[in-house]
This record gives sequence, structure tokens and C-alpha cells, in this order.
Amino acid sequence: MRERRATTGFKVAGIATGKSNGAKSSRKEPIKSVNPKQTATKPKKRAAPAQEESDDDLEDFGNVEIDINSDEEDEEIDENDAEESDNEVEEFPEDQSEGEEEDVAADENEDEDEDDDYMAGDSLDEEDWNEEAKISQRPTKLPEIEANYDSDSSTEDVENTVGNVPMEWYDDFPHIGYDIDGKRVLRPAKGDELEKFLSTMDDPDSWRSVSVDKEGKDMVLNDEELDIIRRIQGGDIPDADYNPYEPTVEWFSSKKEVMPLSAAPEPKRRFIPSKWEAKKVMKIVRAIRTGRIVPRKPATEKPRFYNLWGDEDEPREDHIMHIPAPKMKLPEHDESYNPPEEYLPTEQEIKEWKDLDPEDRPKNYLPTKYNSLRQVPAYGRFIQERFERCLDLYLAPRVRKNRLNIDPDSLIPKLPSPKDLQPFPTQQSISYEGHTGRIRCFSLDPVGLYMISGSDDQTVRLWEISTGRCLNTWTFDGVIHSIAWNPNRELCLFAVSVGHGNVTLITPPRIGSPEQISLTDEYIQQGYAAMSTAGSDDKEARNPIPWVKPNAADQEKLGYRVHLSHTQAVKQITWHRKGDYFATVAPDAKNLAVLIHQITKYQTQAPFRKLKGLVQRVMFHPTKPLFFVATQLYVRVYNLMKQELIKTLQSGVKWISSLDVHPGGDNVIVGSYDKRLCWFDLDLSARPYKTLRYHSQAIRQVTFHRRYPLFASASDDGSIQIFHGMVYNDLLQNPLIVPVKILRGHQVVNSLGVLDIEFHPTQPWIVSSGADHSLRLWT
Amino acid sequence: MAKIQKKGKKGAAANFVTRNQALKKLQISLADFRRLCILKGIYPREPRNKKKANKGSTAPTTFYYHKDIQYLLHEPVLHKFREYKAFAKKLAKVMAKGQYSTAKSLEEHNKPVYSLDHIVKERYPTFVDAVRDLDDALSMLFLFATMPVTDKINREVVEDCQRLTAEFQIYVMKSRSLRKVFFSIKGIYYQAEIKGQTVTWLVPYQFAQTIPTDVDFRVMLTFLEFYRTLVGFINFRLFSEVNLIYPPKLDLIKYEGAAGFNALILEAMHKTAPDAEAKLDTEMIEAEKEESPEDVARKAASKERLKTLGNKVAELQGSTDTDRIDEDVQDETEETAFDEFKATAPTNAAVDGDDNMVTLSQIQAASTEIQQLQNLFSRSVIFLSRETPRYALEFIIRSFGGQVSWDETVGTDAPFPENDEKITHQVCDRPTQGHRFLNRTYIQPQWVADSINSRKLVISDNYAPGRMLPPHLSPFVEAKEGDYVPSTGLEEEDETFEGETEDINPDDIEVQDDEEVDSADEEDEEEEEAKAAVAPKKVVKEDHEAELQAEAAGVAFTEYAEKKPANAKKAPKSAAGKKRTAKEIEEEEAKELASIMMSNKQKKLYTKIKYSQNKKSEEAAKLEQRKQNIAKAKTNANKRSKK
Repeated sequence: MRERRATTGFKVAGIATGKSNGAKSSRKEPIKSVNPKQTATKPKKRAAPAQEESDDDLEDFGNVEIDINSDEEDEEIDENDAEESDNEVEEFPEDQSEGEEEDVAADENEDEDEDDDYMAGDSLDEEDWNEEAKISQRPTKLPEIEANYDSDSSTEDVENTVGNVPMEWYDDFPHIGYDIDGKRVLRPAKGDELEKFLSTMDDPDSWRSVSVDKEGKDMVLNDEELDIIRRIQGGDIPDADYNPYEPTVEWFSSKKEVMPLSAAPEPKRRFIPSKWEAKKVMKIVRAIRTGRIVPRKPATEKPRFYNLWGDEDEPREDHIMHIPAPKMKLPEHDESYNPPEEYLPTEQEIKEWKDLDPEDRPKNYLPTKYNSLRQVPAYGRFIQERFERCLDLYLAPRVRKNRLNIDPDSLIPKLPSPKDLQPFPTQQSISYEGHTGRIRCFSLDPVGLYMISGSDDQTVRLWEISTGRCLNTWTFDGVIHSIAWNPNRELCLFAVSVGHGNVTLITPPRIGSPEQISLTDEYIQQGYAAMSTAGSDDKEARNPIPWVKPNAADQEKLGYRVHLSHTQAVKQITWHRKGDYFATVAPDAKNLAVLIHQITKYQTQAPFRKLKGLVQRVMFHPTKPLFFVATQLYVRVYNLMKQELIKTLQSGVKWISSLDVHPGGDNVIVGSYDKRLCWFDLDLSARPYKTLRYHSQAIRQVTFHRRYPLFASASDDGSIQIFHGMVYNDLLQNPLIVPVKILRGHQVVNSLGVLDIEFHPTQPWIVSSGADHSLRLWT
Repeated sequence: MAKIQKKGKKGAAANFVTRNQALKKLQISLADFRRLCILKGIYPREPRNKKKANKGSTAPTTFYYHKDIQYLLHEPVLHKFREYKAFAKKLAKVMAKGQYSTAKSLEEHNKPVYSLDHIVKERYPTFVDAVRDLDDALSMLFLFATMPVTDKINREVVEDCQRLTAEFQIYVMKSRSLRKVFFSIKGIYYQAEIKGQTVTWLVPYQFAQTIPTDVDFRVMLTFLEFYRTLVGFINFRLFSEVNLIYPPKLDLIKYEGAAGFNALILEAMHKTAPDAEAKLDTEMIEAEKEESPEDVARKAASKERLKTLGNKVAELQGSTDTDRIDEDVQDETEETAFDEFKATAPTNAAVDGDDNMVTLSQIQAASTEIQQLQNLFSRSVIFLSRETPRYALEFIIRSFGGQVSWDETVGTDAPFPENDEKITHQVCDRPTQGHRFLNRTYIQPQWVADSINSRKLVISDNYAPGRMLPPHLSPFVEAKEGDYVPSTGLEEEDETFEGETEDINPDDIEVQDDEEVDSADEEDEEEEEAKAAVAPKKVVKEDHEAELQAEAAGVAFTEYAEKKPANAKKAPKSAAGKKRTAKEIEEEEAKELASIMMSNKQKKLYTKIKYSQNKKSEEAAKLEQRKQNIAKAKTNANKRSKK
């Protein structure tokens, strides 16, 4: 028995060396069992599954364990091994040490079992049962496994045949798979959470149960399985019996064995020196003799430095991507150890310097004065500064920067000298005193003799321009928003907007010539006549606002001619050049914001059914039947005759404040609350020809001179800017704009400066009114 | 139809790579990449449009030029890095096994060694290019020459730096190419002119450097590695240009005796008799060494011989060589000057232009000026007291043709002792002297630098030991228009000389003042004003000097400016802001008006330039103001002391 077993072991070992892996693994177990020590320590039951496996694997060699000595088997093995093994087979058991003899008895016992196992495999027989019983008695247990391959322990269970698929596929179905007959395996009933909880409370094994998806129920783990889990958690080898530190078996050692593995005589080559080595050595020896090889020759030292640059070196061509490193900054006077005293920082400067972050400091040192060179200490940051320079050299991105080295004055455009562009107003000559509120508006009569001004002190005053004398004063019960003199020289009439929408036409008494007076009367009468002839319904329909005749006393005394009462405050009144029409702007009055009134017919029209945006200003074209409407962002040009929109001027400013049309009619200037002045050339484009931004505050008013090529802007910064704005008849030549004068004099009150300006109709003079209650003439 | 351009194939996207991309491409670690960048002089770039260069991302990244990285791919040093890595692994393995003999042989035979020669040539194709970039290299070497040896800084490195810097200084002395010297609080700045390039370097004062903790010495040492190679090659070339053999041999005895530059034995290229002998001898000795390496005693003897030989050679050179070489240099300069004249003369004859005449004379003037500067101290024999910085002063003085000696306590091999009769100047830096020789001038070190920077020997009275020194100004500042120009030592010197004659007047006035002690300050000022008004009539001087005088007299600057209408324009705006002439106002207004018509872009640029100009002028005005205050305080103090 013993002999046989040993033989088996050895043979298998032989096979293992020459055979495929499958065979190896399957036959390793017997080797282990061969070692007596191992077998002593090794519990039996570990071998069992392995044997089972090996049986399964080796179905072809079903007879192996029986006919292990047969020649067939040997033929499969390497021939050498076979021979040797045959020799050693007999001897091997004697190799065991004497001390192990005690174990043998026990071994025999076990071996018997083992061999029985080998024999088993065809069917479950009694021995098997006995074996199992024995196994179960042993201290450590593995899950019971029937060694027979046809022993099917799962027959009693409905087996799920779905295979290795994710079980969540069955989540929505009542079944969890199919049994071997293709019938559905229904999901076992599952209680709700409470029931589950209760069951876990009741069941003492709940802590060791694991739910099995395939079967849809819990499985209780036995002790062995728990042990395996514990070992895996602990990072141990799952098998408790596996000893990773088994002593090595030195099969091939220097010890001369009584039963050597190989009995082949020692070959001759082991005793004679190598011929080839000798040849190689000789080769070297010959080389040394001839001097081709010098042993231990010190390496020839090449000179470390030599002439690297020849005379015909060509400099590198300049490449745009090559940026040489900038040189270090050269020291200034204050870096001297003995600088002039004015360079020494004051205490405050030293403190400031120290408070700054080192990166923010303009200079990385503090100028210090030492009386002699001997007293100069070492500079503490020398190494750091050198290091920073190193970092700069290899870490700082280099970029080429063009430094403009130009005289800033060369940037200022060359303009014709203002002296050549005279006349224009240059200084203040008359100040018109009298108003006690800010003067929002004023107007000059078409001849240029008189001026009327309206103020927040609710009065309107009539001035003689040349003398500054106040000729007349009208007192109203509201703030004067706007005032405009009729441009017709033959008439003597002005319109004034007071308070909440009252517009009154007034003929100032004792001013006009008799012809003017009579003609004005005629105009007014004509209007009354027209109104009275029209039917009352018609009148209602025609006039959105009422024209009211003032009482006789007022007519006589104050020169009131007509009252028009608007629904909202009228912010601007502007006359058509012929003096028959005038337009009013009441921005808040929605579709009645812009109204055009005709005196001779006492008629009011609302030309726009609907207005886009808040109307700021309107203006009649000086020659054509065109009408300019400035909303916040745009200036729209309408033809009144054809009743159509001609053009929309896009100013690009945020809020238009003022508008004026050049007397030629082709150019428009627009001032805005965002400090910009735009010059539009209507023939050129709908966008500004030039946008200028020079005022520091919002522009309140812009205006053209009727005769001279001048225009001006007034701003809340208290200044008036006079420009020379020449428009040429030649369409190809752009208008020439030259700033000629800044007039300063108005005080800024409550951040309001100059509120209104107007050029004198004939002279190169300008009149301005401001928030400082003053009205000034600049000549 | 043209082919459709694919995105990222052209322009910024293709031109630049980020650092990480570069690392990936080169397959090296960041540390290796940094070393390579330092050695190869590769630096990050700033693409004009970052978004385009970085595939639309605006995240902050470092960009490199794509071609730089491409060139790095086949850099030999990069391969050596890799080889070294493999070698280090092998060595570690062997060491871990305890096979020390194998490790030793590995170290001997298999250690990859790389050289930076090709990189130097690549980065600086011509010699002039290399000289142009010498500034940083020299400053670095001079710093490391004074560094203490630590675990990071090898002794070899420090010694190499010391040697290289000494060699370079020897060249500068021989060729007399030093031009400017500046004692700053950080160290001594030198500027030399080599091959038409100005080379400026900074040398720390001779103190032990404290090693800061916040400095990464790996970076600095990598830089140093390259700079050592560069300076070595440059030195070789420079030495060969003045007919000296490179490397000069080191005389160990002298070196240990702190002889400085004299420890290096200079040998001329064209072998004179002693030199040739020396060479032969050394060769023989070397041959002997090779033949019998085991004979230690003999070796020692040969070494000794070599040393003594070195001494001999040094002696010989000390007496003859330096003079001879100096003469050579002078001859050369003379020759070159003559050549120039010859070369330009025919063109003159052909063109007969006045301009050419002017340039010729200018060239000649410049060359004579430089020649004079080179021989500035040629008639001076200067002795350095022991408290002065010996190496710096020796270098400076010898670079300008002076003879210099020093106290025995600061170094051996002093050419002549302190009591030598021929000594004309003695540099000392303490307020009093024990024994004063009457036939020599005692001066402070600043005299040397100021003389060089002003290109003439300045009057030494101001620099006498213990005296308050005139301010030491930077020679590197070129005053532009509008800059503040401090009074140089020279001007003050002139002033003091004039002052001696002028001193009489103020003294007289002050005597009068003494008589009427109670007189109010206003009167005093009035008088001074009157004096200041008279002054210009007396002496025609430059405005500046006149200003200074007025200042000294205590006249307020504005008043002074008013009195001198010529000065009105020069005066800063802030000072003259109150009263402007009508014409000025008009001009101002015209400018303001015209600025209205400027475009937005121009306006911004204009304001920017104006801002910086104003800042500068404010700075100048501040300094001017301070100077006045100081002058006032001084005069007041003087008066008080006199009263």
C-alpha cells in the first residue's frame, strides 16, 4: 500500500513537469499527500474536493489511479523521467527519516481512505458514506459536498435556469425565472418592511442570512462560510488549512543522496576547462600584448574648454519668435551706498514701504546712507534676488511689447487756428439781471432787438438785448417751461408754455411797429373767423384741445391773444419758419404728445396716431415740409405733406436731450444727456458723421447760428462750447468741425449748469441762461 | 474652391503648446523638463490670443512655442537624462544587493556623462552673442564664488566659480576693458566693454552669505551648471585673444595665502624662453607620473617641483610679464587708432563732406577718451589699507593701469610694502590713521569709483579719511529731459572751489547780520534775494548752477523762477501754476480745444502718456523740493552755529 502510494506520487510529479497545466493542477494534490509530514498535518477532508475535481478532469485517464504502474502511463511521460522514476520508485520510501516512523501508522490509515477515494467515483457506495461520516467528525468542516458527479443534491429544489443575467430584469414580473421545464418560477411572497423586521427579530439566524436573488429568498450561511467571509475580511487566505509557509523540499541539493534523482555519471565537460573561454581570454591577452588594450588606463581627459566659436560663425537670423531675455535693470542713484540726501526716504515712506506686500513694492530696497564703505553690511536678499531673476528667465512668459515713444502733443490733431475762423463769441458782455429762479428758456425776436425769458420764478420778462433793460414782465401761476418767438418778421407774437399745459400766444405791448401789430391782429382775427364758421361738431373733431379767447382786459393790458390748454405740461414750443404753424411737445401726453397748431385757422392737429418712445424734441425743416421728431434714442424725419416716415437717424446715444437743424437743412446736431454731441449729415448716412464727447456733464441744448457757420452746445458742467461748423455746398466735401471757444461763467447750481442757449439771429453773439438765475450775452 | 481650413491646424493653435502637452510629448518629468528648459534657454510665451491657443479655454496656462518643444525631442541631453535614470536604477539595485565592487565599476564605466558644449554653441552662434548674454552668468558665478559649501552646494562648484571669475577678472584687467564701477547697497556693480558689448555684473560684498530657506537651489544650480560652461568657453576665447594660455595654472601656495589673482599663473601663447621651459618641464613631470604611478615619493617631489616652478614663473611674470602685456595692449590701441585714421582718410578725400570730418574727429576723440580712461591710474601707485575691500579695489585699480599693493595681513604676495617711497595714494576707510606718510594722499575707496565714473582723477580733498563724502551717484543713469539730476560730487567740488572765492560775500553779509541780530527774517531774505539777483550779472553760469546758488541763498524757487524769465518754461507746472502768461493760457486752451477732436483711442493714449509724464515730473519735483529743504535746513544750522 505504502509503496504504491509513493509510486503514485512520484509518477504524478513526473507528469506534472512535462504536462499541461490542467494535468499539473489536477495531480498536485497527490504529491502533497506523498510527503509524510504534510500528510500528518494535513486534514483529510481538504483532499476530498480536489480528488473529486481530479476525477472529473481526468475522465480520460480514468484508470490512472489504479494502473499507475502501467506502461501506457509511462509512455505519456518524458522518457528520461520515466526511467529514473522507475529506478527510484523502490527506494523512495526509505528516504523518510526515522523520526517520522510514528506517523506512518496514522498515515496508513488515512492513506487507505484516500485511496478509497480514488477508487470511488463511479457510484455512491457504502464506503463513501462512511467517508462522509468520518469527515463530519473532523474538527474543521467545509460545506458538505458529495464527491460523486452524478450526486445531485438540488433535485428537490426548483432550479432557476435563467443563467447569469442581471436579476433586475425580472423586477417587473411576478416570476423570477424558469425552471428546467420552462415553467415560471414565481417570486416567493415577500412581506412588507414591518414583516421583514419582525421576521428578523424572530429568526435567530437572521444575522447570518443572505438574500439570493435567483431564488428570491434568504439563505442561511453556515459556520464554515462565515469563517471564510471573516478571513476574506481580515485579508487572510480564505482556506483555514492552507499553510503558505510550508518548508521547501530541496530536490536538487549539494547533498549526495543515497538515492540520487539522476544516476547518470558526471560528464567529462565538468572536469575540463572551457575551450571557448580560453579562446576569448587569449584574444584579450593578445590584444594587451600588442597594446591594443591598455588595462586600467585612466580615461583621457579632454580639455574642458576649447575654442567653441570659429571666425566664420554666422549670427542667427532674427526670428520673430525669438525674444532675447531682457537685461537686468541698472541701478539708480538711490541704490548707492552714499546717495544724495534727497533720495533718502522719510519715516512715513519707510513705513509705507514696509506695509506693502513685497510684490507690490516699486523698488525692492530702501535707500540707505552709510558714511563710509566700511560700514555697508551684506545685502540680505542677494540670493533671493538672484533666484528671482533665475525664475524670471525660465518661467516668465516673454512677450514683445511696443513702447510708444512719441510726443503726446503729436497726437493732438492739427486744426485751423480759431483766430482764422472768427467771428465767434469770446467773452461775456451783458448780464440780464432780474429773474429769481432758474431760467429754463428764452427766445430772441427774429430781428434781434428783444428777448423774452421764462423762469422758474413764474415770470416772463422782456429784455432789450443791446442795453439789458427789462421792458416788461408777465407773471403767471406756473413754471415757464418753454417760450418761442414767432420767426415771422412781420408779426410780433410769441408763445409761452406755462405750468400744466397752458400755452398762451402773446403780443407784447408797446414794442412792435403799427404794421406788425395790425398784421398780428389780422392773423388772430382770421383764426377766430375760421373757428366760428366751422360747425361745432366739426370743431370738436378737428381740435383735440380747445383754443380759448382771453378776456378783453388781459388782451388789452398784457397782450394775451389765445390760450391753448393742453392735457399735460408742454415742454417745448417750436415755430414753423413762416410763423403760421407751431408745434408743441408734451412728452407725457401719449398720442397727443406732439401737436401742430395753426394760428390762422385756430386749428390743432395731432399728426401721429401713435408715437414710439418718449418724444424729447421736435423741429420743422427750414425749407421743406419735413418734421423732425427726437425720441430718446432716435430722430425720425417725417414728411408732413405725404404723411410718411422718411428717415430714422440712429444717434447711438442713450438719451437725446436737444436737437437742432442746420439752416441749410441737410445737417442735424443732437445733444444727449450722456455728454455726447452727434452731427448727422442727412445726405451721408443715418448714423452720425461725428460723435464728440467733451463735456463733463449732460448736454442741455445745442443750437446752430442762422447766418454764421457756428454751432454751440451748453452743458450742466456750466460751460458753453462754440464750434465752427462749416457746411460746404460741394457734396463731396465733409463738413468742417473745429472747436473754437469754451465759454465759462455760469455757476453750477444743484448740478445744473447752462440750461438754454441761442445765437443772435444776425450777429455772431450767443445768449445763454443758466440755473444760477443769470441770463448772459456773449459777444 | 479653396480647401476648407481645419480648426487647430494653423496659427496660434498650432504654434503654441501648453506645458502639460509638452511634458506628454517629451515623456519626461516636470523636474527634468524644467532643467532642460533652463539649459536650453526655452521660455514660456504669451500668445496674442490665449483663447485661440488653448482650444477655446481661457484657463490660465503656460504656453511654449511648439517648435521649441519639437527641437527638444532630439536633444542629446534629454537622452542622457533617460540613460542616467536607467543607470541610477541599476546602481540602486546593485547597492541593495550589497555588490559594492560591481557598483564601483558601474559607476566608473557606465555612468552617463553629458556635456553642454553643443547647447552653448546652439544658443550663442557667435562669440559676440555669448558676450552679450554674460551679465546674468557673471553675477551668478560671483555669487556662488562667495557661497559657503553646504550639502546642496558642492565644494567643486564653489571652487570652479572662484576660478572662472578670477580668470574673467584677469582678462578684464589685462584688456583694461572695465568702464564703470558703482558701490551700491547690494554690492559692487561693474561694467566692462568687451567686443563692443557692455557687460554689467554685480558682486556681493565680501561677507559670508546666509543661505535662505525659501530658495530652490536645484534651479539655481542648474542655471549655474550652464553658466559655468558658458563662462569657461568665453574665458578660453578671451584669453586666446590676449595671447594667454587657457586655463592658467593655479599656484596652490599663493592660492592658500590669499594672493587673489596672482595665484593664477599666466602664460603667454607665444612661448618665451622661461614659459617654454616650464611647459616642457610640466610635460615631463606628467610623463613621469604616467610611467610610475605607484611611486608616491617621486610624485610628491614632482608636485613640489611644480609648485616651486610655478612660483618662479610667477616671479618672472610679476617683474616682466605684466608690464610687457600692458605694453602690448597699449601698442595695440595705438595701432588701432592709427589704422582707423588710415581707413577713414581715403573716404574723406573722396567725399570731402563736413559730416565725415566731424565723425572722424568724434571717433578720434572717443578713442583718446577711452585710452585716457584705460590709463587713468597709470601714474598712481596705490596702497590698500587692511580695512578696505582688497580684491575689489585691486581689480578696479589694476583694470585702469594702476599699481596696487596691500597689507600683508590681507594676503601674501604684496608687490611692495606700505612704507614704499613710490606710493602716491593710500586707500583707507577709517577716520584716523596711526602713522601718516607725508608724500602720499590718503583717500577713501569712493575716490576710486568716482574718478573712474567721471573719467578723471577727482580732487582728493573731499575724500580724505574721516570727511563727509560727497554723494556717490550711479554712473548708469542717463538723465533725460525732465528727469531730476542730483548734484554730482564733481559739481559740488567745482562749487566748493568757487565757493572759496565767493565765500567772502556771504560771510560779509552774515557779519552784517551779526551786527543787527534782531533783524527780522524777512529782511534777511530780501537781502539774499537782492544778492541772488545780482549774482547772474557777475558770473555767467549755467542755469543749474545759478539755481543752486539761489537755493543756497535761500531764495524760494518760485521767486527765483519769476526773476529769471528764461527759467520760467523749465519750471515744473505745479510750481508755476499760479501765474501764466497770456500766450501760455492761449496755447493751453488751443490744446484743450484740439483734444476735443481726438478719436477715443488717441485720447486714451494721450491721457496715459500725460499721466506717466506727470508722475515722473512730480517725482522730480518732490526730489527738488526735498533738496531745497535740506539746503535750507543746513544754511539755518550754519547760521545758528555762527551766531
